[in-house]
Amino acid sequence: MKKFVILAIVLFTLTFALSQGKDGCYNCHKDAVGDKATELYPKDVHFKLGVSCADCHGGDKTSDDMEVAMSKGKGFIGIPKGDKIIDVCLKCHSNEMVMKKFGSNIDVNQFKLFKASVHGKSEIATCVTCHGVHNIKKVNDPTSPVYPTSEVRLCSKCHSDANYMKKFNPALPTDQFEKYKTSVHGQRILKGDTKVATCSDCHSAHDIFPANDPRSTVFASTLPKTCARCHSDANYMRDYKIPTDQYEKYAQSVHGKALLEKGDLSAPACNDCHGNHGAIPPGVKSISHVCGICHALNAEMFSRSPHAEVFEKRNIPQCEVCHGNHLIERPTDEMLGISTKSTCIKCHREGEKGFEVAKQMRDMIDTLVMRTNRAKAILDEAEFKGMDVSDARYDMNDVPQILIKARTVIHTANLDEFKETIAPGYEIIDRVTKAGLDAIDEYYFRRWGLGMSTLIITILVIALYFKIKQIERKK
Amino acid sequence: MGVLGEKFFNWFDERYKIRSFIEFMSHKTVPWHRHSIWYYFGGVSLFLFIIQVVTGILLLLYYRVGEDSSYESVQFIVSKVKFGWLIRSIHSWSANLMILAVFIHMFSVYFTKAYRKPRELTWVTGFLLLIFSLTFGFSGYLLPWNELAFFATKVGTEIIGSIPVIGKELLRIVRGGEDVTGATLARFFGLHVAILPGIFTVILFLHLLFIQIQGMSEPPEWEKLPPEKRKYIPFFPNFLLRDLLLWLIILNILAILAVFFPWELGKKADPFAPAPAGIKPEWYFLFMYQTLKLLPAKVLFIEGEFFGLLIFTVAGILWMLVPFWDVKTDKGYRNRLINYIGLFVLIYMLTMTILGYVLD
Amino acid sequence: MNSDFKRSRRDFLSYILGFGFLGWLVSVLYPIFRYINPPKMPEAKVKSVKVGKIDDFKPGTGTIFKFGSKPGLLIRLETGEFRAFSAVCTHLDCTVQYRSDMKAIWCACHNGKYDLNGRNISGPPPRPLEAFRVVIKGDEIYITKEG
Repeated sequence: MKKFVILAIVLFTLTFALSQGKDGCYNCHKDAVGDKATELYPKDVHFKLGVSCADCHGGDKTSDDMEVAMSKGKGFIGIPKGDKIIDVCLKCHSNEMVMKKFGSNIDVNQFKLFKASVHGKSEIATCVTCHGVHNIKKVNDPTSPVYPTSEVRLCSKCHSDANYMKKFNPALPTDQFEKYKTSVHGQRILKGDTKVATCSDCHSAHDIFPANDPRSTVFASTLPKTCARCHSDANYMRDYKIPTDQYEKYAQSVHGKALLEKGDLSAPACNDCHGNHGAIPPGVKSISHVCGICHALNAEMFSRSPHAEVFEKRNIPQCEVCHGNHLIERPTDEMLGISTKSTCIKCHREGEKGFEVAKQMRDMIDTLVMRTNRAKAILDEAEFKGMDVSDARYDMNDVPQILIKARTVIHTANLDEFKETIAPGYEIIDRVTKAGLDAIDEYYFRRWGLGMSTLIITILVIALYFKIKQIERKK
Repeated sequence: MGVLGEKFFNWFDERYKIRSFIEFMSHKTVPWHRHSIWYYFGGVSLFLFIIQVVTGILLLLYYRVGEDSSYESVQFIVSKVKFGWLIRSIHSWSANLMILAVFIHMFSVYFTKAYRKPRELTWVTGFLLLIFSLTFGFSGYLLPWNELAFFATKVGTEIIGSIPVIGKELLRIVRGGEDVTGATLARFFGLHVAILPGIFTVILFLHLLFIQIQGMSEPPEWEKLPPEKRKYIPFFPNFLLRDLLLWLIILNILAILAVFFPWELGKKADPFAPAPAGIKPEWYFLFMYQTLKLLPAKVLFIEGEFFGLLIFTVAGILWMLVPFWDVKTDKGYRNRLINYIGLFVLIYMLTMTILGYVLD
Repeated sequence: MNSDFKRSRRDFLSYILGFGFLGWLVSVLYPIFRYINPPKMPEAKVKSVKVGKIDDFKPGTGTIFKFGSKPGLLIRLETGEFRAFSAVCTHLDCTVQYRSDMKAIWCACHNGKYDLNGRNISGPPPRPLEAFRVVIKGDEIYITKEG
């Protein structure tokens, strides 16, 4: 047994040495040519694994004769270009068995993903574009070009070059890196924090798709989950003093439900409020501007309300203080007014003008809602009785619109403007109620009319009967 | 008042010699016996027809024929026009009551043998009036262009196609095309408001003329009775006042039906929608429809539906000609066979109608 | 005395009969006369609607009108041309309005904008507004559904 082991060790060492020494390409190019490739290659991860020049470039590494070593007959391909580069890498990197032989867990599907991605054309990028050539390092090696702190500059090499990008997609912006530098992620990465997001953390590495492609990790309805990968991981976010419940809250919110459940792509995802490359939470004074991108009227009304100035002075976060930020729920009338559930009483006390305004606004809305429900009940009753109330129903359609308007106008905190807005609602409801009651009256009128006619006819019938008797008695 | 009436009468008599006519009419009598009650049904049918004409004309003021406007205009009538709901419901109810009255009138005339000589043509014109009434009903039913009417018309006209040789062509003429469409609607409308009223009025006039000339028929039993024992009452004013009494009550019933059982409009016809379950024609066609449903697909070498059609046509013709083949027996006029046939027809129609409702 | 009584009964009966008949006549003629009188509003058409006269609409304005059971928007451009659309926003069904300051159709709910051809150009609306056909007969304007 011992003899066998010694023999094995000797054979192994010999083979290893031989193979090392037998990399004729490397040996020749290092000594005789002295090119850049051989200068870089020793630091390459492939060199350390015993991959020779011929394993990629083809040819015969055992021969010292250049003609033989670099002959086409022996499979030499020279410097591969374009798709040929990819073919070379694929030879091993898409072959699971080969990768196992070298003890690697690297995904063998990268090429499939890459081919389908937006970079998939070899004129745009090949494996070596990002990973380098002859000096390929492991991804977690700080000297690798795709190491988190270096990755951003790598992507920017193309993506911040407007002239270069023009060739492929003239409409694509080229300011991502500049914006990224202003973001929390950008600022931290410059300080060397490799935990924060860089390009591939959001966009993915090989299967990058345009943001409007449903396969993209930054597609509108996929993006919240992408952000949540870090931001909902309490353990990962341990050292950063920010909450990790944003996604959970967002998913329950009006915006979350609209985007994630109903698929309404116009609903805001994380990036619509926080920015994508320049991701930073909006400042206290800019919240209403950001919300106002969609909720334009509310923002405009808020900005001319007495709240705007007061909130600015006291550093109160505008929309957020009543509506929340991530868990923005469908607002109800409960939020307005002076009850314990309302948001107004968070600041306003009894006797103050604001208190009074809140109370009146809520009362007027409640009254209109109540009258609307009553009108609906009356119309239902009329319809049940067989009367036609389709006109009244159509008129009533305006009332929800008016209620929406009124609930928006409260952002002005101006009671007069509010009264002016809600007044037409009362007019309409009174008219509709009257129409409904008229319809019900018509129902009873018909029965009354029938009763009257029946009475007249009965009298006539009885009189006729007696007349007949009278005539027959005479005859 | 009386003087004015006389002046009026004289003015007309000078020009049109109406005195003798009035004299003649004032002597009109009605036989008074235990089956006299059936005499009312002719008048009831006439009254209901007048109601149909009046309400029909009123509906014409607002009804607009067309695939895009028939349904909407009927909806407009029942919901927006003042008392439109009343006029429309009365028209629909009165149509049904009129056909019921006409059937009762016909059967009562049949069983009292009022059709016998000299009143054969009164019976024949009466039968024609029945056929025209049914046609009125069939054509009018489609006019609201609602779901029920559309499919009932589709099913009802389909049968025409089963007639060999001419069936397909006849169907196209009746429908105004291959299928029931706006063209059918237009055709039925013309039939219902112009063609049929014209023909009906002429035949009705003849029917009434015959009755006035010949007087009311006496029951067959009276042939054995001596003239003194026969009781009559004058038509003017006695019977007429009784008629009016009944007509007033019927008018009231129509109003009650209109208020408490308004005629439904339902959904607008959609030719592309599938037929709702349990489509059947109106009750007065049900016995024929049910018979056709029960017939096998083929009888001998004739297609089942055509066979049914043939049977009903032959039966109808025989029924129309009953005054000519109801032969006097040796014992007298009471031909029991006629009664049995009549009873059979009546029971058959009633049973088939009931089955038509129950079996679906 | 008997005959007097009988006569007065007779007269009384004729009296009732006469009045009864008159009452009956009124109860029949009253509904008929009210029926013949056409109602104020023409029926609510769902395929075509008359919205008014040309002069009722100033150039550079928009008006909401009823089309079937939904609102429609009639715009008269500065050039005098008429355009009509469904006023139901394609995002979440709010009623849109014409904004002469924006020269666009605007939805107040989430700041959605449509150009004057009804095409969605900004904000949440995913689809253009349904276009209606404007037909001018004489000086009356009719709106019908396209096609």
